[in-house]
Amino acid sequence: MLQNKILFNQSSVSLEIVGLPDYSNNENKDNISIISQWKLMIIDKTVIEGNLHHLKSIMKAFYSYSNSLLNNEDANYASKLIDIFPENFYTHNLLLKSSKPDVKALELSIGNAVFTDIINVFDKLCSSNKVKNIYSKEFKSLNNKKYLNLLFDKKNILNTLLPPIYSLLSIFIISTTLIFLYDGNENKDNRSFFNTKNKLISINPTNKIL
Amino acid sequence: MRNAFKSNNIKLDEFEALVQITVELAKFLYPYLRQILQSRDDFIRNPKPWQEFKLRYTELISERLNTNSMKVKRLIDSSCNDEIFNKIIFTLALCVSDNGFLKLRTSLLNY
Repeated sequence: MLQNKILFNQSSVSLEIVGLPDYSNNENKDNISIISQWKLMIIDKTVIEGNLHHLKSIMKAFYSYSNSLLNNEDANYASKLIDIFPENFYTHNLLLKSSKPDVKALELSIGNAVFTDIINVFDKLCSSNKVKNIYSKEFKSLNNKKYLNLLFDKKNILNTLLPPIYSLLSIFIISTTLIFLYDGNENKDNRSFFNTKNKLISINPTNKIL
Repeated sequence: MRNAFKSNNIKLDEFEALVQITVELAKFLYPYLRQILQSRDDFIRNPKPWQEFKLRYTELISERLNTNSMKVKRLIDSSCNDEIFNKIIFTLALCVSDNGFLKLRTSLLNY
């Protein structure tokens, strides 16, 4: 049986997907639902290839790494199959570990331009109608995760609500302690002092007249 | 940071519309964005596109933003603005896909 081949291109990167349609689901014969092989070809670099499991883990690695770059987080990704870490702000290092024993890990250094090409090729694959069985839902949730976290994160809500509650409580406690410290007798003494002073003032003019 | 006397607070709808326009423009300009990024990656052999972009962007900033502000001064300073300019172009280049709007909006809201 002949297998279908679909190629996704973006400037210096191309991704080839080889597989079969799911005939049990009455799918179009040009579609691919069962991916048997894939190849990621980058100009001037070694060809990366593998099975569906490898493709999913590589896509997940690239998406989570790019999301952490976009969200100004510490961009380091490490997994069983792939490690991605930045060398400087325009170079990224990939360490591709083979699942076969006694095979050395492949080290690649790519620039920002190639990195964006790879992400765009994966985006094309996710949005393609011809290739199915790529769980794009997980990658989409990765994109929105941080924004949703910002809205519904318990810590975030506590951070916004706690400062005014603390300030109100502190004002209440300070004012109540000051009420207890307030001495009523001292005030009475003051009042009596003022009263005697007033009486004296009222007496003075009568003395003058006399 | 803007060189204006009025301070207008942007509404969420307006912000989202601006993000949408930016993403559509980035899609259209992707080859140029890539060329600029490529130039920064390979600066020794091909420095022209990066230098031209930096020059024009600095001109635009000094025309439209308040150059007395320290933030703007730091943006214009050519000795330390490479990273932030690269980040701007890189973010735009990553947001040219179908869900680029979501990516850019999330990135800006988290900034």
